[in-house]
Amino acid sequence: MVDESRRKFLKTTALVGAGITGLSTKTVKAGPKNILDENRMGVLVDTTVCIGCRKCEWACKTAHDLPTQPLDTYEDRSVFEKMRRPDDKALTVVNEYAARETEQFPLNVKVQCMHCDRPACVSACIVGAISKEENGSVIWDTDKCIGCRYCMVACPFQIPAFEFEKAWHPEIRKCDFCFERTKEGKLPACVEICPMEVLTYGTRKSLIERAHQKISLYPDRYVNHVYGQYEVGGTSWLYLASRDFAELQFPKLGTNPAPGVSEAIQHGIFAYFVPPIALYALLGGVMWINKKKAESNKDKEVHHE
Amino acid sequence: MSENMKAVPLPRRYFTPAVIVIAAIAVVGLLFVLARLIFGIGAVTNLSNEFPWGIWIGIDVAAGVALAAGGFTTAALGHIMHKEEYHLITRPALLTAMLGYTFVAAGVGIDLGRYYYIWHPIIMWNGNSALFEVGMCVMIYLTVLYIEFLPIVTERFIGRVNLPGFLKKFNNSIDKLLRILDKGLDKTMFIFIIAGVVLSCLHQSSLGTLMIIAGEKMHPLWQTPVLPLLFLLSAMSVGFPMVIFESYLTSKSFNLKPETHIMSNLGSMVAPLLGIYLSFKIGDMVIRQTFVYLTEFNTASIMFVIEIVIGIVVPLRLFLSPQIQKSPLGLSIAAFLVIFGVFLNRVNSFIVAYTPPYIFENYFPSIGEIFVTAGFIALEILLFRAFVMIFPIVSVPQHSGTKAKFSIRSV
Amino acid sequence: MKKLFLILLISFPFVINGQSKFSTTHSNQNLTCSSCHSCTIPTKENPCIKPCPRESMIRVDQKPEEGPRIIVIDKLRDTDIYAPVKFSHLAHAEMSDMTGGCRTCHHYNPPGNVIGCSDCHEVSRNRTDISKPDLKGAYHQQCMTCHRSWSGKTDCIECHAAKEKADLKPVKAKDEKAKRIHPEIKTPDKITYNTKTDRGKLVTFYHNDHTDLFRLECSQCHSNESCAKCHSQIKKPADLKITFAEQHKKCSNCHETKNNCNTCHSNKETERFNHKVSTGFDLSKFHSKLSCIRCHTTPAKFTGLNKDCVTCHGSWSWDNFNHKITGLVLDELHGELDCESCHKEKSYASPSCGDCHDDKTYPKEKPGKLIKR
Repeated sequence: MVDESRRKFLKTTALVGAGITGLSTKTVKAGPKNILDENRMGVLVDTTVCIGCRKCEWACKTAHDLPTQPLDTYEDRSVFEKMRRPDDKALTVVNEYAARETEQFPLNVKVQCMHCDRPACVSACIVGAISKEENGSVIWDTDKCIGCRYCMVACPFQIPAFEFEKAWHPEIRKCDFCFERTKEGKLPACVEICPMEVLTYGTRKSLIERAHQKISLYPDRYVNHVYGQYEVGGTSWLYLASRDFAELQFPKLGTNPAPGVSEAIQHGIFAYFVPPIALYALLGGVMWINKKKAESNKDKEVHHE
Repeated sequence: MSENMKAVPLPRRYFTPAVIVIAAIAVVGLLFVLARLIFGIGAVTNLSNEFPWGIWIGIDVAAGVALAAGGFTTAALGHIMHKEEYHLITRPALLTAMLGYTFVAAGVGIDLGRYYYIWHPIIMWNGNSALFEVGMCVMIYLTVLYIEFLPIVTERFIGRVNLPGFLKKFNNSIDKLLRILDKGLDKTMFIFIIAGVVLSCLHQSSLGTLMIIAGEKMHPLWQTPVLPLLFLLSAMSVGFPMVIFESYLTSKSFNLKPETHIMSNLGSMVAPLLGIYLSFKIGDMVIRQTFVYLTEFNTASIMFVIEIVIGIVVPLRLFLSPQIQKSPLGLSIAAFLVIFGVFLNRVNSFIVAYTPPYIFENYFPSIGEIFVTAGFIALEILLFRAFVMIFPIVSVPQHSGTKAKFSIRSV
Repeated sequence: MKKLFLILLISFPFVINGQSKFSTTHSNQNLTCSSCHSCTIPTKENPCIKPCPRESMIRVDQKPEEGPRIIVIDKLRDTDIYAPVKFSHLAHAEMSDMTGGCRTCHHYNPPGNVIGCSDCHEVSRNRTDISKPDLKGAYHQQCMTCHRSWSGKTDCIECHAAKEKADLKPVKAKDEKAKRIHPEIKTPDKITYNTKTDRGKLVTFYHNDHTDLFRLECSQCHSNESCAKCHSQIKKPADLKITFAEQHKKCSNCHETKNNCNTCHSNKETERFNHKVSTGFDLSKFHSKLSCIRCHTTPAKFTGLNKDCVTCHGSWSWDNFNHKITGLVLDELHGELDCESCHKEKSYASPSCGDCHDDKTYPKEKPGKLIKR
């Protein structure tokens, strides 16, 4: 009787274990796409050149079919009075930082998705809707999105925005590096329109090289820091500036990849489902032993009586 | 002692003044849910691109999951450790867990922008995502909880299926089905019980992993790589206090004698668990030297101190005191403090600690958010009361069980 | 990698060819290697060409009127959202006299013809060589650096007409037909600088004395100035922190600025420089048209000159001196005397009559007839 139940127990346990292991191999493959191509593209933003004309904002909205005011309204510089952030209606915005005593011009800084090499959003997305593509873009499959907004929690740059006011089928929106345009060999809309070529489009490798060349050519013009080269494990968009990036409200971030230790923990707990199965087996064993003990105790009691 | 205790339905008048107040809150909450469905999340909540998650995640989901930990801890104690004397508390604990997780799912449901895609994670996998893990575990665990609850349903209805009108002809076949179910479940229940405990351990800890990816956006007092361990330990230590507290409330509400013996036995197990949790929490703080942030006098440091002192240290001291051990009221006060502490920890971790780099307006839950959360809790209480009255959940001494409207099916 | 190697192999003969051609032109151009190369021994594999701009490679020495008058910048008309700009090259060339000359914009130009922007800067923004801006970027970076600094405006319509409203003229184009030169600059007579030093706060600078009396050309002082110096709407570059040397640079071309602060710095406004009062040598009579350097031949050294005429002129005689120039035509009697007969002093100041005449004194009686000079 005991033997039989034990055999049954072990069999079921093994079956459950096997089933879960079968799934686990699938899980490993089911991770979202995070390609780090050697020739992935990027953009070098030289904030010292930017004049704050905001043509990029207009071009971005036009390219993404977002409602926009006519082009000439963008010359109104009063918008710079307030700091703005990208949202679901404007995927990129330009902010202005007043000139310091020793400077002639204010600094303008364009803000959009940084397109991390190891994006936190890609790691976080519950349905794996977000992916890092071969050309460097971090894009998402809106048909998969369930609107949980975990990508917004995860993003160290506070970029993904959500259509909160939409009751039906709200979307996550952020800069997609003009994935549809670059696929056709076109430039990202903002890069194409920028009159000053503040935005230089090229392979990330060549951009880093160029950035450091600029710094060494004009050491007085730039701080010796290419923002995005090492931040959160590197980003496709890189920035040059004439003052400390913290003053331009760039978040101060370490060099560890954005997902941080969360993936390591996740994979530690779930290393091929071994820990959960081991726990399952352990608890099963404990349960079985305790049950047997209780039964034998009962038997003893019966015998005593 | 437990031999003469028996789980029976407790038929009472459903509506008392307190229940009516609770029901009113539930109705208002549901109205706001309706508003959210019609006008969208933005119209009802104070959520923004700066603060994408609010109390629907922080309280309904994170705290909800933690406070439903009574289910797996008592299951572990009663079934896996096979302590039969605790079997009579496993049913209320199971019911709490089942209802708790149901409302966790409901909370997630209304918080999701596209609630109708809630099934997506089942077929679209991302093994790297802590949220995926939590989501899957909660889904499976909820199913497991329903399965674990089925025997109670079969126990209640086998031999008593009595459908009205033309459905009468199905009575026999449904009864047969229930019997088959009962028999099958009886043999395989251990699989689900162990699975329930494993799944709980997994997602209770993964709920901690959830916020690790927020990195610098989370206040260093809470942001730590051992967050999953802290979440698991706190969930374990809040399990029994939850059972104690709710057993006390049930006994008050249904005019029963409190199970002092079991309560104090459970209470004696809380102290070590709480002690381990506290030592890890303090140890983590010392190792990462985050205590420097306590010198700053701000919301974060105050909340942290409240969480530690009132939520852990005070109840730990109470549970260690022999006088408290004997008093149901004392035990439930201590238990309440633990519950409060863990609740606050979840709220702190998900809301107070979350400081994004760009803030235009600080987050404070809107009226709508508060009413939905309160409404869900109210609904949970109402359902608990209804279930306790319909199903054999609460154990009462056999001799006093004669009040039961139904005669209990002999085992 | 393989591909790259293949390309190198195929292009090898061309490289050799190009190299030799280049080398011969190089040697004709009197260039040092380091003008273009950053390493001492450039190789074909690693030519180590310096990135632009190469300051030492600029050879543009033309007068403004030698260049084109108006350039229509329409190389980007197909892609741009604005209509082409009619660029008044002449006006800008003239204005550049006050800044750095042609090189202000033509920041790279090997000997030979003057090259335009599009000779180096690529029209297409989508390119592999990103070591220099593309053409659109180059234009705007060049224009906006000045335009934004003096007008404070970044509006596109300042220079462009909108494409869809091509009939609408840009703000700047209104006087495109006029010969656009910088309007006459009213120069200040006197500027009093309030300096930060303790020893002599005020420096009184007589601007017009420097231009009229000392004959300085505008560009001798205003050689490297941006338009913003006068036109700034944003912030005066004078507010910028600069070093002592930079602060005194313009003066130190002529003045010794390291010591002798009191020469210029004083606690009250100083009088206009007067050669007669300061040195006892009156320039107004005969030397008013001379530039300073004719006498003060050592730069920045103005003291120690002998006031005697002979120091410069040697001794006067009838061969090299026409007395008429003094405004006094000598009569016949005196016209035959040696100079020294009357002018006893080396300064050829007032003559003495006592040698010949007992009863006559100068200037009461004159040895000839006064004329109007």
